[in-house]
Amino acid sequence: MSQSPHLTKLSRRAVLALPVGLAAASGHGAAAEPRRGGTMVMIVHPEPSTLAHYAVTAGNIPPIATQVYEGLCTYDWDLNPQPNLARSWEIAPDGKTITFKLQEGVTFHNGKPFTSADVQYSFMEVLKKYNPIAPVMLTELTSVDTPDPLTAVLHLANPAPYLMKALSGRDLPILCKSVFEGTDVLQNPSANKPIGTGPFKFVSWERGQSVRLDRNEHYWKPGLPYLNRIIARFIPDAGTRSAAMEAGEAHFAAYSAVNYADLARMTSNPILGLTTKGYEMTPAQSVLELNGRHPQLQKKGVRQAIAYAIDRNVILRDVMYGYGQPATGPLSRKFKTAGLYTDDLRRFDVPDRLEIANRLLDEAGAPRGADSMRFGLHLEVNSFGEQWLRQAEYLKQALAPVGIDVTLRSEDTATWLRRVYTNYDYDLNEPFLSQGVDPVYGLNKQFLTSQIRKGVTFVNDMFYSNPEVDRMLDAGMREPDPIKRGDIYKKVQQILAEDCPMVWLIDVQYVSVFNTKLHDHTTGPLGTQQAFERAWMDK
Amino acid sequence: MRLARYLGHRILLAIPVVLGIVVLNFFLIHLAPGDAASVLAGESGAASPEYLEQLRQKFGLDQPLGTQFLVYLTNMLHLNLGYSFRNDSPVTDLILDRLWPTGLLMLTAFGAALVAGTLLGLIAATRRNSWRDSVISLVSLVAYATPGFWLGLMMIVVFAIHLGWLPTSGFDTVGADTEGWDQVWDVARHLVMPAIALSLFYLAVYARVMRASVLEQVGMDYVTTARAKGQTEIRIMTGHVLRNALLPVVTMAGVQAGNLIGGSIVVETVFGWPGIGTLAFNALQSRDLNLLLGIFFVSACLVVLVNLAVDLLYTALDPRMEL
Repeated sequence: MSQSPHLTKLSRRAVLALPVGLAAASGHGAAAEPRRGGTMVMIVHPEPSTLAHYAVTAGNIPPIATQVYEGLCTYDWDLNPQPNLARSWEIAPDGKTITFKLQEGVTFHNGKPFTSADVQYSFMEVLKKYNPIAPVMLTELTSVDTPDPLTAVLHLANPAPYLMKALSGRDLPILCKSVFEGTDVLQNPSANKPIGTGPFKFVSWERGQSVRLDRNEHYWKPGLPYLNRIIARFIPDAGTRSAAMEAGEAHFAAYSAVNYADLARMTSNPILGLTTKGYEMTPAQSVLELNGRHPQLQKKGVRQAIAYAIDRNVILRDVMYGYGQPATGPLSRKFKTAGLYTDDLRRFDVPDRLEIANRLLDEAGAPRGADSMRFGLHLEVNSFGEQWLRQAEYLKQALAPVGIDVTLRSEDTATWLRRVYTNYDYDLNEPFLSQGVDPVYGLNKQFLTSQIRKGVTFVNDMFYSNPEVDRMLDAGMREPDPIKRGDIYKKVQQILAEDCPMVWLIDVQYVSVFNTKLHDHTTGPLGTQQAFERAWMDK
Repeated sequence: MRLARYLGHRILLAIPVVLGIVVLNFFLIHLAPGDAASVLAGESGAASPEYLEQLRQKFGLDQPLGTQFLVYLTNMLHLNLGYSFRNDSPVTDLILDRLWPTGLLMLTAFGAALVAGTLLGLIAATRRNSWRDSVISLVSLVAYATPGFWLGLMMIVVFAIHLGWLPTSGFDTVGADTEGWDQVWDVARHLVMPAIALSLFYLAVYARVMRASVLEQVGMDYVTTARAKGQTEIRIMTGHVLRNALLPVVTMAGVQAGNLIGGSIVVETVFGWPGIGTLAFNALQSRDLNLLLGIFFVSACLVVLVNLAVDLLYTALDPRMEL
């Protein structure tokens, strides 16, 4: 902590400026001729529990699974759907039918041809029944017709404009019907030996070490992929992960597998580059949830006071090492492209925020005691990494000046989840929330009254219930007009910021570290959660 | 015949010990809050009650504890360690996969520590108060006090990043498809740093214990008698003192065998070594109960076996001890 603040600032600026240049030099903008061959080693952390991507949506599975499984669409940098297994589509004027024309000549890795029957089976028999995001994303899907082998028609009970954002291999992968039909889907042997249509075929999984994927010689996109092999390596220690990149043993580390603290050092290594691209469809926020059943936290003024007391810039600087942005409200800025984000709402980052916080607490009837504290709260420390402990330590410091005495409680993941989401035995909780590809995913699960679901993790554990928000979120789900939809969500964000059921801290920005031998690794907004079909390596 | 009877007796005694450990562990683990389903659902970041229910049914966690215990005990009696919730794989397969890397690391580190520690302790004791003794004592103290994870990371920085002599981590070069001696060489290069990081602590312990033990023995009457009989110092050391001085070292090695699996977690984590230690840690974190119980079972069996081996070694080193 003896570092000069000025130097720190300069250094961070330099670090933040670097990704753009390096991404242009070695990312999708590279002009050199792609070279065939080579083995790319990517670090995936932590090791996935399963590769059953269709039934478990943990973030460490897609970097492997999306090399094998594909979706109907991919997405361009403006987040518009692009043809993939579907070569074209048509949405009916009433928004209740989507007709997909499928690619010809596509085969699964087991040699079976890909047809509309696979699309029907994947959506109706696997994804709708077993995928954790299905209760939101596929809730309106009623049936899939297959008038011919290359046409699949999705029928919806109501328009579902968000569905077109979720058709990638990451969110709704297409499976081979003949592999699953007549079996117990959750016990199917292909769970950890995936069979898809993707550019790489699964070869082996050595637990605790690596997954090996080899080039699919029969891939349907001519000439692709360029790489012969992808190895996903699992290295539990953060320092060793950084060392593997620095030593040139690994070529790609995404989703901040390299600690933020090590990134500045990486920039001085000539064989390495950083990029923040490839996360445009992966919005996430760190937040502070407030238990609405706590006598003090039931008061809107107290909740707002907590939001005013926290300086998000400190978290950004000292916990996230400058990566990300201070959150302004319930939606990440990544929804700006879709016209759904607004910062025209109650702002908590005003200069006199501490005065406002103290006034609100006085008005809420929480006077300071002899020790100058008003009341005490327990904060449950997020168990998913050391940085959350640092954030919790700052939150304790930040709330002390306004008279809130915070006690930190660190427990292992299972105990933490049970305490918060089953027993509701918490005051403050600092989860890290993925917001999905559309607000229906993040906002609905956090703020709908119907999402107060005992025992279900990362839903509405704050007991927040506002009939107007319920009604508007419901309308937002079904509104096909993008302008009207944007207006609905902007209004929802304004109400939520006013009610303040949680405190929005940081719009998280992940970082990828890559070896400069590797080119075209980040070719779309899903980054590492889509196939490395165009990636290639120098000799 | 006598040895066979002794072994049979000890193995019979070990059965209730191992069974007791299994039963105790089963109920202790179930006292901890949370289950594998909630951790898996939590990692997914999205879960409906139906999804959680599916997971609990799949894992058998929806059954009463008594039923779960009976199922587990029945499986155990058939030497079936069950199915790992998290890894979607039979527990036996997972443990066997990890046993070889752990065994290799442990035997290398432990063997090196035992041999080098004993030798250093012997040298220090026979050259008491010399510069050799001082250097060995200082090195032992530093090795004893140096955290294994720090040493591991420093070795990675020096030997893997700056000098490029050794790989940073892993069991072998993934995707290299080496065979025969090339494979042996590849694994050996990966083994060097974790084995050193793990062995230094034990080396220091054995050196200090051996030094103290030798010093104690050289003051005994039988050594004076041997000298009076005109035996050379080398003969006295190798023929009399060493055997007796080794007894405390062997005792300590036997006790530490129980720490082997747990003690290797840090080193395995730093070097990405796919061993039992990290498997156990991850199983605990994810409440993968069957896997955890399986590891406890294997670990209990190993401790019982090592203790048996130590007892047998005692009788070989000290004829006064009888089976």
